Formats: sequence, structure tokens, C-alpha cells
Amino acid sequence: MKKKIGVYICHCGNNISDYVDVEKVKDIIAAEDGVAIAKTTMFACADSAQNEIIQDIQDNNLDGLVIASCSPKLHLFTFRNVAERAGLNPYNYVQANIREQTSWAHSDNPKGATEKAIQLVKAALAKVKHSEALALQKIPAVNTVLVIGAGVAGMRSAIELADMGSKVHLIERTHFVGGRTSQWSKLFTTSETGEEIVSRLYYSVLEHDNITLYMGTEVVSNSGSVGNFEVELKKTPRYIDPDCKIEDDTEFENKLQKAIDICPVEVIDEFNFGLTKRKAIYKNFKSEFPECPAIDAANCTKCGDCEKVCDGIKLDQKEEYTTIKVGAIQLCTGFDPYEPKDGEFGYNEIDNVITLQQFKRLIELCPDKLIHKDKEIRNIAYIYCVGSRQVDGDNKYCSRYCCTSAIFTAIHVKDKYKNINNFHLNRGIRTYGKQEILYHQSSSQGDIYLQSFADSPPVVGKNGNTTSIIINDILTADKEIEVEADLVVLVTGMIPRKDNSIGNILKVPYGRDNFFNEIHPKLKPVETVIDGVFISGACQAPLNITETSKSTLSAASKANSLLKSGEIELEPTIAQVKSDICNWCDKCTLACPYDAISKIEHKGKQVAAIIEAKCKGCGMCLPVCPENAIDLIGFSDVEIETMIEALIE
Amino acid sequence: MSKVNTNFSTDLKKYGSINFNECYNCGNCTAVCSLSTEESSFPREMVRYSILGLDKDIKSSLKPWLCYYCGECSETCPRVANPGELMMILRRWLITKYDWTGLSGVLFKSLTASIVAFALVAILVIIVGFFKQFNTEALLHLGHYFEMISIASVFLIILLPNIIRMWWFTIIKTKAKVNFLSYLKAIWDLIVHMFTQKRSLECEEENTFRWLEHFLIVIGYLLLLFITVFLDWFATESKIVLWSGYIVSALVFIITFDFVLDRIKKNKEINKFSHPSDWFFVIWLFLMAFSAFVVRVFIDAHLIDNNIWVYMVHIIILAQWAMLIVPFGKWTHFLYRSFAMYFDKLKMSQ
Repeated sequence: MKKKIGVYICHCGNNISDYVDVEKVKDIIAAEDGVAIAKTTMFACADSAQNEIIQDIQDNNLDGLVIASCSPKLHLFTFRNVAERAGLNPYNYVQANIREQTSWAHSDNPKGATEKAIQLVKAALAKVKHSEALALQKIPAVNTVLVIGAGVAGMRSAIELADMGSKVHLIERTHFVGGRTSQWSKLFTTSETGEEIVSRLYYSVLEHDNITLYMGTEVVSNSGSVGNFEVELKKTPRYIDPDCKIEDDTEFENKLQKAIDICPVEVIDEFNFGLTKRKAIYKNFKSEFPECPAIDAANCTKCGDCEKVCDGIKLDQKEEYTTIKVGAIQLCTGFDPYEPKDGEFGYNEIDNVITLQQFKRLIELCPDKLIHKDKEIRNIAYIYCVGSRQVDGDNKYCSRYCCTSAIFTAIHVKDKYKNINNFHLNRGIRTYGKQEILYHQSSSQGDIYLQSFADSPPVVGKNGNTTSIIINDILTADKEIEVEADLVVLVTGMIPRKDNSIGNILKVPYGRDNFFNEIHPKLKPVETVIDGVFISGACQAPLNITETSKSTLSAASKANSLLKSGEIELEPTIAQVKSDICNWCDKCTLACPYDAISKIEHKGKQVAAIIEAKCKGCGMCLPVCPENAIDLIGFSDVEIETMIEALIE
Repeated sequence: MSKVNTNFSTDLKKYGSINFNECYNCGNCTAVCSLSTEESSFPREMVRYSILGLDKDIKSSLKPWLCYYCGECSETCPRVANPGELMMILRRWLITKYDWTGLSGVLFKSLTASIVAFALVAILVIIVGFFKQFNTEALLHLGHYFEMISIASVFLIILLPNIIRMWWFTIIKTKAKVNFLSYLKAIWDLIVHMFTQKRSLECEEENTFRWLEHFLIVIGYLLLLFITVFLDWFATESKIVLWSGYIVSALVFIITFDFVLDRIKKNKEINKFSHPSDWFFVIWLFLMAFSAFVVRVFIDAHLIDNNIWVYMVHIIILAQWAMLIVPFGKWTHFLYRSFAMYFDKLKMSQ
């Protein structure tokens, strides 16, 4: 029990004192047991007031502190610091919120507000009397980060982390690095190609001793927690001897080419979004990294033909499992493009309807003339917001990159081929920021923009041999306008990865749009509620490459700053099991959202134990315990009960 | 339903060199236009039709003629799409659409064709002069005769059928129901607009002086026509007719000279873009009035007999004017604009 408590009632300028009689609150509280000092103050957060409180604590040797002011969300840490600077344990400080909960809420009733303020301060006083001095827990951490996904986000982050001194395990599920970016050729707004960007990143990754790159590798399970995750990885074989290198060995390269030519298995090439086919042993483009082709285990029949022509191929390679220990995990798993439903704007029903992603690959496959299904393309109609900003569907969000990407592609196409006409059937163009210049460029060069409302989308139809689109163009007073197109490009947005199992393994929460969710969009934009797990790039939300780079660098610096001291400080306000009472019924583990409870042996029986690094002190386990065997440090039964008593007094 | 036609805007660009594709449909042009109304709003609609290539809608519209080109829309346009000049371009295009001969189209679209046509007319006049052995008496007589014939024939063969075509496209094809009485009631508007262009005074830009200049040119031109053709200025004995001729011709060439200067200086929005047809129009109007003035001076100074070339120059200019600019060139805006006002009044009176 604390006996020398200081209580400060804040005016907050006039914010509190206009409706709450702060002098009366002070007078009543001053008479309470254990109160050594009670004062009012104009702004408790002001420097002078803070110094006065510190002085009071030291002069009177106070053992508890209550400040009745604003919400603890605003100044809890400010006043905990005040206590600490005065030599008082910060957990012996309790804040009473008499602004948001009192003066602002009850400005119509000053008398009642004053009564309520008195009760709230009394409750805070009750809590502080039973408060215990607590210390932050410190746990050792390894300064190693697992970066999942070796696309632009993953590689950029790995390089940055390595530069800052962290060790990095960079894993990539497929057999080639670069992710989606390697699929795009010219990129807005610099016209650099995706291949160029990917190869620059790849060489930097290779140069770094701190980075270990794993191809064909994914996470299968995770145990441990922040600072000490234990992650099990599964490596799918490439079926090529790892000692074989393509560079400077044209003979080996020729053998591999022979192996590709001889392979009897043909599958749909996802790299070209189904526009072409590839063999089971494949490489997507010449300068792709790592340079060796890979054999696709899912489709390979192991016929052995390739082994006969190329001795570097080893079809007897097996899957490998390894466990690594890392302090933090960064998710850079990217996105999938939206796949339109059959019949959505004629997709899969009319043969010249393709997606923007397919179109970008088609351009790469057509060096001189733009040919689709043996027909030369002149008139291209782009239908915007397919799979984004849906009125009826689930994808309510805007995919952000697609307007700019479609317009940039339209400019590129007009530049590359002759006699191209572009028609943009949109729902409002969003080429925000520097990208606006592309919109200007495109309309200057004669691209035609037509716009419709969400509830009356354009209709794609077949009219004999021609495909035509009808739109109620709001820019022409809702007139019904028909556009004849040789090719219809559906400007499809981003959706979360179809296989997002990594999210379930790491228990990362999903947001409304099913992308991984951050804690706070502005204040904690790359952190998740799972300590030590960071998200960046398009796995979090639709982002373009620039934005991806920014978010991934932010996540890298957060991960490094968390681990660089080799020690992690955790809040002491966590759950605690009274092992003697616990009879292990498993209810608490089911209630825990953070997997923070394990089963241990204690005096010959099974009991629950809290994994301190994982517990967030949410308190979900407390009410489900039939034996009342769990306490929450800093919110003990006695603290809460005496608070309630004070409130209903 | 209307089909997008990208060839149209490519074709339209031959009538004037601006890129109206820059337009991003903000509608500022329509908002600032003092002549645009809720029932009949422009120029954004016309910009839009031009971009989409909805030529049928433009052909049946009177809106390009309702604009008097003060230039405020072009000054306001955030994308420099020059809506004001586009309206001008559309007027050129409409002139060629109304013209049943198709010759206006050739002359408006090709400067080379225009130069060849002007040269051919000049050669024709010289040949006629040659056959008359450059006899002053005979040429003056023939010139006067030519003036009367050309006025009558150009009006009956070219302009009247073209106005009927314009009426067909804008009233009949649009299924506007206009009763016969309205035609008579609105006739006064036709006359007022034809001779005064008073609607242009409603433009917000400071343009009273420009209106006055234009008004004086119209009146001066018509009077000059009357004095030379019907009062036979070059042969008159009447002092009043003589001096009136001097005054109106001087009035016309002085003001047109100012117009030419404006087009050279390009200091006003309306003068920034000059199509060859604009140059031909102002320069030939100037030359015509100026050469008429000089001819009469030569007659009064008894120099004309020894300087028949002066009259030859005048009659060449006059022939080019009467045979090319009046029936197929910019001159026609004088008729079409006033008839557009008339037809618009009829449509509004439904």
C-alpha cells in the first residue's frame, strides 16, 4: 500500500476547468487516505509543471503519482517519464482521464462532470495504492532477419538490412528472383525495364556476405517469438547441380538448351500469363537470375531425357528441410493480379479480351508488329478498374498503380508500333503525383478517354467479326458511344496472393481487403501485431514499385533497430500463471490470440505457462480460467477491484 | 448510338493547327463563355464531339456559329486545348460541309490548291484582257458587267443552295418542328444579326472597338459593293457618288489594314492562329478596297488610259474575291452565321 501519493488535477487550459470544478476535485481528493499532496495545474504536460511534479516527488519522497488530465493515449508515456526522472517507478503512476471521459463528454452538465471526475480520480488513487514497481523485461535477440520473397521489396530490404549489419536469410518460393517486376518491361516513369532493376538488385544481393539467398524455398512452420523465431524452411530442388554455373561455360549452356528443347512436357507459361507455353525445364528470359534454368517439380515427369543430354541435371535431388533462427521476419510476398471471371467484360468468352498483365507480356513477345491471335492490332480499348473499386464484389479498394500503368503502356505501344489508337474507358483517372504527366502525354498524343459511372459499366460485345464496346460516356452528356476495338485490355488491379499460407503460419492479421494488415496506417505502417513480424510491399496493399521500395526500406530499418542491440525490451504488463492453482484445462490457450501460452510440468502436474516474449497483456485468458489462476501484471485483481469499489462508492 | 471515329480529328487538324486532344473535360471553357447557356452550352461539347469524331452531331449543330470568338475560353483552358480556335476550325469545316460543290473543302485543306486557284483566276483575267487588247474603255465596261453577273450567279448557284443545305442539316435532319409563321416572325432577327453582329457585344471580353471595326467593315463593304456595282462608281459623274466611293473604300482598307496588323502581331487570343483562309480574306478585302480607291484616283487624274495595268490588278483581285473567297472561302461566314442565329431562333421558338 502506497501511503504518500501525489495527485495533480489539470485544467488543460480551459478544456477541463470550463466544465469540471478542478478546485473542488482537488479539495475532496486531498482529504483521502494516503494523499500527501494534491494540487491543480494549468497544463500538467508543460515543462514547468513537469519540473514542479518532479520536485514534489523528490522533496516529499512520494511513493505514488496520479495525474488527472487527458487520455493516457496522449500523455501516459510523458508522465511515466516524469515519474522515472523523479526516481519513482513509472508503473507507480496512474492516469485519470477527466478530459475525454468527463469535461468533453459532459459539457452540458458541469456539476455531474465534476462528480464523475472525483470518482475517476478516486479510482485512479485506489489503483495506484496497490500498484507495484515493475521493470521492462529484457530478452536476448539474434540480429538476423528472415526476408520472405525475393522480389523488388525483398531484395531491396535484404540489401539495406545487410548494410546496417543484420544477417539476412532471403528466401524465394520460385526458382528465379525478381517477382512480378521481372515480368514487366518498361516501367513508369523512368522507362527503365523491370529486368534492369531486378538484375541491379540481384548483383547487390550476391555481393553481400551478410545475405544468404535460398531459391525454391518456403516457410513451413514457425515456433519461437520476437528475437528468437525458429523457422522451418522447405527447399524444393532445382534439379540442376549447384556447382554448375552458366557464365563463361557456353558448352554447359548449350547442353541446357538441348535439355530444354528435348523436354516432352509442355505447360502453360505463367510468366506470360498463359499467352504461351513452356517446357517443364525452363527459364523465363535470357538474363533471368539465377542464370541456370530450373525444373518445375510439379510438372516434370522425370522421364530422364534431359539428363541424357546434360550431365548437370540431377533428377535425384530431394526436398530439403532446415530450421533457422531469426530475430525478426519481414514479409515481402507481393500480390497476384486480379483474374477476371469468365464473361466479365467478355473475358475468356471473346477471344480478343485480355488483361493488362497479359498485354504487357504480349508487347514483349511482339517486336515489330502488335499481333494477337494472328491479327494485327490497331485499335486498343482499355477498360479500367476491373477487379478494383467493385460495386458488388469484395474488392472495394483502388489498386492505385493501374491507371498509370495502363496509360504508360498505351504511350509505349503507340511509340513502339505504327497506327495505334488507344481508347481509355475509365471511371475517373487517378494518375496521382508525378504520374499526372503521363496522362497529359497520352491525351496530347490523341488517346481518347471515355468515362462511365460505376453502376453502368461499359459492355463488351461481339458484332460479327468485330468486337465493340458500348459506354454511356458521362463526358459526352451520357451519350451512348460505341468503340470498335481489335483488342480489349482489362486493366486489372492487385489482389492478395492466392496462396497466402505464410500469413497463417505467422498469424499475421488480414485487413478488410484481405491484404496483410499493419498496426496503424500512419504511426506503425509496417509493423504487425505480431512483434518482430514486419510487412512491406504489395502484400500489404496495392503499391507501385516506388512505394514498395519506400515501405520495404521502412520495414528494414524497423527490423534492424529492433535487433541491433542484441536485446529486446518488452512491456512488463503481461499475464502470469499461478502454477499451484492451475489444473491445465486448455481454455486459456484457445482464448489466446497470440499463441503465447504453453504447457509445462510443475510439481508433477501439467500447468499453463506464459511465453513472455509473445504475451501482449491483452487479458483474454483471464476471464476464461475456471480456477482464476491467471493474473495480469499491472492489472491485478486487487487493483481492479479496489478501482471498482472507488467508482461505485 | 454514335461510333467513335478517330479519323475525324486527324482530318479536322487540316483546318487549323491546334491539338484539341489536350482537353481533359474540365468544362472551364463552357463555364466562362458568356454566350453559352444551359439549353445550348458550348464549347466543351463541341470539343468532345471533335475528339470522338461525332461528325454527324457537329454537322447538325448550329453551336459553332453561335460563338463569336472572343477567346476567353482559350485563355482559361488549363490544358491549352484552344477551344476558341477549335470553334473556328469547326466553322471552316462546316463551310465545306454546306458547300455542295466540295470546292471549299479543297481550298480550305490545301494551301497549294488555293494558290493554284488564285493563279488560274488571274491568268483567266489576263487572257480576257489580252483579247480585249487591254482597251481601257472595253475593260471598264466588261469589269462592271462581270461584277453584276458574278454577284447574281454566285448567289444563285452556290450560296442559295448551300444555305438550303445548312437548313436541311440543322433543322430538317434534327427533326426540329418549326411552323411556317415562325420563319416569318424571326426574319427580322436574321436581318439585324446579318448587319450588326450585335450578339458579339454580349461577349464578356472588352471588345466594343473590335465590334465597331467589324461593323464598319460590313457596312463599308456592302456600301462599296452598292456604289461600284449599282451606282457604277468608276463611271459616275455624280459628286456625291464619287466621294462616297472614296470614303467607303478608304474606310474598308484602313480597317482591314488594322486587322492584318493584328494578325501579324498576334497580341490577342483571336489573332493567335491564322489559317491561310483568314489571311486570304483580310488581305484580299484590303487589296480590293485599296485597288478600287487607286483605280478611281487614276481615273480622276486621267492616268488610267496609260496605266491600264492598275485596273487589271484591281479586276484580278476582284475576280479572285468574287469567284473564290465569296463562294468557297471565309466570306461565307457572313451568311452562315446570321442564318445560324435565325435557325437557332426558330429552334428555340418551338
